[in-house]
Amino acid sequence: MLIYRPDGGVAQPPAQLAPSPAVLAGRRIGILDNQKPNANVLLGQLAERLADRTGANVVRTETKNAATACEDQVLGLLTEEVDVILTGTAD
Amino acid sequence: MTVDTVSEDLLQVDGSDLVEALAEHGWGDGLPMVAPTPTRVEAMLTGSPGTDPDEVVAVLPPRFGEATRRILAVNAVMAGCRPEHLPVLITAVRALAHPEVNLRGVNATTHNVAPLVVVHGEVARSAGYHGGRGALGPGNRANATTGRALRLVLLHVAGATPGDGDASTQGGPAKYGLCFAENADASPWPIYPSAVGVDAPSAVTVHCGEAPHNVHDMESDDPIRILDKVASAMATTAQNNACISQGEHFVLLCPEHAATCAVAGWSRRDVSSYLFQKARLPATELKRAFGLRAWAPWMDQLANDELVPMTEHPDNIRIMVVGGPGKHSSVVPSWGMTRSVTLPIHELGD
Repeated sequence: MLIYRPDGGVAQPPAQLAPSPAVLAGRRIGILDNQKPNANVLLGQLAERLADRTGANVVRTETKNAATACEDQVLGLLTEEVDVILTGTAD
Repeated sequence: MTVDTVSEDLLQVDGSDLVEALAEHGWGDGLPMVAPTPTRVEAMLTGSPGTDPDEVVAVLPPRFGEATRRILAVNAVMAGCRPEHLPVLITAVRALAHPEVNLRGVNATTHNVAPLVVVHGEVARSAGYHGGRGALGPGNRANATTGRALRLVLLHVAGATPGDGDASTQGGPAKYGLCFAENADASPWPIYPSAVGVDAPSAVTVHCGEAPHNVHDMESDDPIRILDKVASAMATTAQNNACISQGEHFVLLCPEHAATCAVAGWSRRDVSSYLFQKARLPATELKRAFGLRAWAPWMDQLANDELVPMTEHPDNIRIMVVGGPGKHSSVVPSWGMTRSVTLPIHELGD
C-alpha cells in the first residue's frame, strides 16, 4: 500500500546556534535566566565554576518569562556583551 | 510489517497494522488511523477547491514543519475527516501560526495546554459540526475528527511529540482533540466572531488552554447567582491565569444559563464585565502562591488586602454559548502566555 508521509518538509529555522569557542579563557559567559524557580541558582553557580576554571567573565541577563521568546533588547545586549550563553528550558 | 521510502513524499507499507508501522517512525496518536493513500488525499483536497495544494499555509514550531494543504489533507485523512472538514482544519492551523498564539510555547511547555477549536457560522451547519447537547464530548464525526486532525498536525508537522517537542508533565485529554461548534441558534447574543471584530459567514477560533472546568447551577433564576459560580471556577490559584495576569478565560455558557442572563437584560459585555469584577483573589494569596511572576505592571502596585482580578481586562473573558438542555456551563482557563485568534474561513471555494 502506498501512503503519504504525514510530516512534510521543514523550513529554515529562524536562528542557528553559533559554533562553540574552543577556549573559554578571556571569553564572556552570559547567563540567560528564564525566570523559572531556581534557574538563576543553577545557571549562576555553573557559570561561576566555569569562570573559575577557565578565566572567563560572567554576565547575567534575564528574560521576562520562560514561556515566550527572549526580548529583542535582551538579545541585543547578549550580542554586544557576551561570547557564550548558558541557558536552560523547562522547570 | 515493513515501511519503505518510495519518494520524498510517499511510503510503501506492507502488512496489516498501520498503527504499528507508523509508530516506528514516531507518528500517530496511539489510535487506529485511516491510511493516507494518494487517492484518499486527492479526494480530501477537493474540500479546498481552487487552491494550491502545495502552498505552505503555515510553518509550525518547534520542528518548523511546513504545513501545506496536502500535508494537512494527509493528516485529515488519517484522523477520519471528510473533505468538508478540511477548510476548518486549514483555518485552525493558520490561526495557530499567528505570533500571539505563541505556538512554540504552547507545544513545548510542561503545562497540559491544548488548542480548543470553535467553529462558527455557516460551515458549522454545512459541514456537520455540533454545538448542542454534549458538544464537548464524543459522538459527532466533524467535531471528533477535526480536533484529532489538528493534534496529528501538531504531532507530525509541528513536532510536538511527547518528550521531544512536548514537555507536558502529565499531558491531558484535550491533547487528543477538542473541537465543537458555537451554538449560535441557542445564543441570545450575536455570533462570537462579531464580538472580536470578525465579520464573515464562517469562522474558526482557537484558544490554547486547559481542559474545560464544569460550572453547575440548577437553582438560580438570576444572572448574578449563576455568574458567581462561574467566577468561583475562574478565581483559583490552581491555574496559570492566577500567575499570568494577561491570560484569557473562555466561558462556555449553556443555553439556559445564557438565557437567564439575557432575559435579565445582560449583554455579552455585561457578563464579561461582571466576571471581571467578581473573579478575584486577595493579593496576599496570589503573592504567597506565586510572587509577582508575570503580572501586568499596574498589578504590582496593589496593596496586600486588595482583591486582584484574574485577568487584566474584561475583554480577556470570552463568552459564547455551547451545549444543549440542562444547567451546566464550562470555564476554559488559558495557558497564560498565549492569545486566542479568530479567523474567517477563506478555503470554502465561495
